Amino acid sequence: MLFSGRRFGQGMRAAVPIWIAFVPSSIAWGIAAQTHRLPLAEVVFMSAWVYSGPAQFAVLGPLSEGRPALQVLITGFLMNLRFLPMSAGLAPYFGGTPRLKLLLASHFVSASSFIVPYLQFQKEASAAPSPPGAGQRNLCFFLGVGASSFLVWVAGTAAGYGFALSVPPGFEEALKFILPGYFTGLLAVEARDRTARQICLASLVLAVPAGAASADWGWLLSAAAVATAGWSLERWIARASS
Amino acid sequence: MDRTGVILIMGLMAYALRVVPQVLLVGRRFPEGWDRWLRCLSYALICSIVAMTLFMTGGRFESNAAPRRVAALAAAALVAHRTQSPVAGMMAGTALAAVLGWLG
Repeated sequence: MLFSGRRFGQGMRAAVPIWIAFVPSSIAWGIAAQTHRLPLAEVVFMSAWVYSGPAQFAVLGPLSEGRPALQVLITGFLMNLRFLPMSAGLAPYFGGTPRLKLLLASHFVSASSFIVPYLQFQKEASAAPSPPGAGQRNLCFFLGVGASSFLVWVAGTAAGYGFALSVPPGFEEALKFILPGYFTGLLAVEARDRTARQICLASLVLAVPAGAASADWGWLLSAAAVATAGWSLERWIARASS
Repeated sequence: MDRTGVILIMGLMAYALRVVPQVLLVGRRFPEGWDRWLRCLSYALICSIVAMTLFMTGGRFESNAAPRRVAALAAAALVAHRTQSPVAGMMAGTALAAVLGWLG
């Protein structure tokens, strides 16, 4: 099987909330980049090539101020480290897929395009054993989510660049909330067990002091620590009760 | 190095982080415990990103905006949970964030 249009379409439909969330985020990024006086070509190139909202926002200041390249690259790398576990989480569901397709599709891994397919694959895997060819069909679903979200992100960047800078404060507040609001809604629906909810709450609270201690490393380390603590506690309880 | 060169290398580094697990781990099932840890990590990472986006700017806690954003976050979670719809939650939270932003 080469390509499943049905599965790609399913992915696109599942990505609609991400598009809605990406429109204001990408426009906000375009506006921010314009206020830092980066040229349009560089801004769009960055959105298409780096395709990582948090990293793009994080390096905007150092990049526009002409800080040393190493500082910009280290900041971007730290912000993008989250792609490792996200991509690793998806990899088991793409079995039997030609390597070239995986190499091309990998570019679309992002926080948003990771969680929607990942939760979908987990739900499907727990409902029934994977049929032959499931890996390629899963990749089509992932591409439906990832490629469409990518296009929205890049187009939104260009639109945002030309957007009026005088955005009313209340409107700005709503724009800022859309993406986190969507993630919160998704987790409120999907994180059903007690441990998952405790992990969500603890990481939400601890990220603030951790981010204040170290804006680059703090929230990443606190997330890893909370996840590991929650996972260990869950295993310990399971062993003790068996 | 000019700015375009920095962006080019930054994109290559991001791509490497995305592609390495796909090349090394494709089609392999993780042990159940490792799989569960990854799931825990994804929850924690996403919640941390939410916290950093809403409550922190340049390493500083946004104490003025925090109360209304906590309220909007709670509304998003509550509505999503009640309706079982992440989009409904997002819309409720965003509407409340906008109203509280205008009032504040």
